[in-house]
Amino acid sequence: MNVRHLTAARPGHFFAMGLGLAIIGCAAPVAAWAQQPAPATAVSEENFGDPLENTNRAIFGFNQQVDKIVLVPLATTYKTVLPGPVRDSVHDFLRNLDEPIIFANDVLQARPDLASTTLARFVVNSTIGIGGLWDPATKMHLLYHSNDLGVTFAVWGIGSGPYLILPILGPSNVRDAIGLAGDGYADPGNIIASDNHVVWAAFARAGTEGIDARSSNIKTLADIERTSLDYYATIRSLYRQRRAAEIRHEYTNIPNVSPVQGGDDTAAPPISYQVAPGSSPVEAPKK
Amino acid sequence: MMRRYSKVTAIVVLAVACLGGSPRANAAPDPVAFVTALGTQAIQVLGPQVSEERRLAQFRELFRDDFDVPRIGAFVLGRYWRIATPQERQEFLRLFQEYIVQAYSARLGQYAGQPFRVLGSRPAGDEIIVRSQVVRNDGSAVTVDWYLVNDGGRLKITDVYVGGVSMKVTERDEFGAIIQRNGGRIEPLLAALRQKVGAAN
Repeated sequence: MNVRHLTAARPGHFFAMGLGLAIIGCAAPVAAWAQQPAPATAVSEENFGDPLENTNRAIFGFNQQVDKIVLVPLATTYKTVLPGPVRDSVHDFLRNLDEPIIFANDVLQARPDLASTTLARFVVNSTIGIGGLWDPATKMHLLYHSNDLGVTFAVWGIGSGPYLILPILGPSNVRDAIGLAGDGYADPGNIIASDNHVVWAAFARAGTEGIDARSSNIKTLADIERTSLDYYATIRSLYRQRRAAEIRHEYTNIPNVSPVQGGDDTAAPPISYQVAPGSSPVEAPKK
Repeated sequence: MMRRYSKVTAIVVLAVACLGGSPRANAAPDPVAFVTALGTQAIQVLGPQVSEERRLAQFRELFRDDFDVPRIGAFVLGRYWRIATPQERQEFLRLFQEYIVQAYSARLGQYAGQPFRVLGSRPAGDEIIVRSQVVRNDGSAVTVDWYLVNDGGRLKITDVYVGGVSMKVTERDEFGAIIQRNGGRIEPLLAALRQKVGAAN
């Protein structure tokens, strides 16, 4: 149940630009609650942070149709036509393009530990990894983590605002949607594409990211849809919990049990899981 | 000589401590061993060589024996648990158990036969959290946290967090949404569960 994938991990920054700008237009009234501290994972039992539920459900239904008619067939074809190693390279390449924005957010969150890892990954993968087509950094125990402006806002104490289903892009909220737009706007790759009048390249990247993300969770999402009573409510819960975990950076830099793809067999040492009293790397569930 | 004596003493002290400790009613079993055995078993059961029928049967058994179903059920219904009649509670627990078995035996299929390792444990209030890690089919690792209580000398699972996502919070949110959209009544949820559970049988 990897929700990071189903939110299409940073799907299409560029699409998001226009979309996010439209949202910023209606963001002014939102500024008031934005000042309130983030309510962590506590979900109001009354409305699940989802006052726009009826609209969201309608857009969710539309997205499901698009998913069924366009995205899943594309993702399935992508998976069938391209051999695994090629898809891995596409995936690594797209991830590498994201690293500058991840680095910027690591810095904005005052996390030199994360920032140095991201920087090292970008340097290693862009050079030894030939422009990011391979990911030798992971084998050097420089592990990937995601980060984005939505997380940065949350770390700064800005609340999520109402839950939103964005057309095509899927689950989000006001804070994360603005973050998505900001990331897309600031992305060096997009800026270079725009400056060189090859905006199509930014769109191609966004589209490929969407297909790459979708192709990795076709069965997972189908299983959740088939087995849940209320798919919309389940996705909403998964999104909120997953984002909360990302904001805590709880699962960042956890070494892998075994080498990811072949590679040398220097399994990472077991992590000591004794934690000092007072610190709480694992958030206890709200009772 | 001194060395030998101290060794003998240590063994005697240890033996006495063990004997003295064993009659305690709540002698806690080892949470790490518990989760190791359980996780390994679950991952085997998920494998493709196991028939759908047997997988469901095994999950049913596992969930009934090793999960604190009443406690999870009460949490999942939240404030509606308190307004539910005894009959509603009873039926809910029965349906909920079967629903979880069917949903999660499918949803966890992506972890079938993958490497599983327990990393350690720590106390959290009256619970014990055991952290483990499992590798997904695509090679990426996911952290799985098991929340356990000592239920009269037996360990029982109260929640499982997969990659930061809690099973019982997910179900509380889903069921709460259904109850809320049906005017705060529990019966429509029970009807939906009956249909879901029945349809898959």
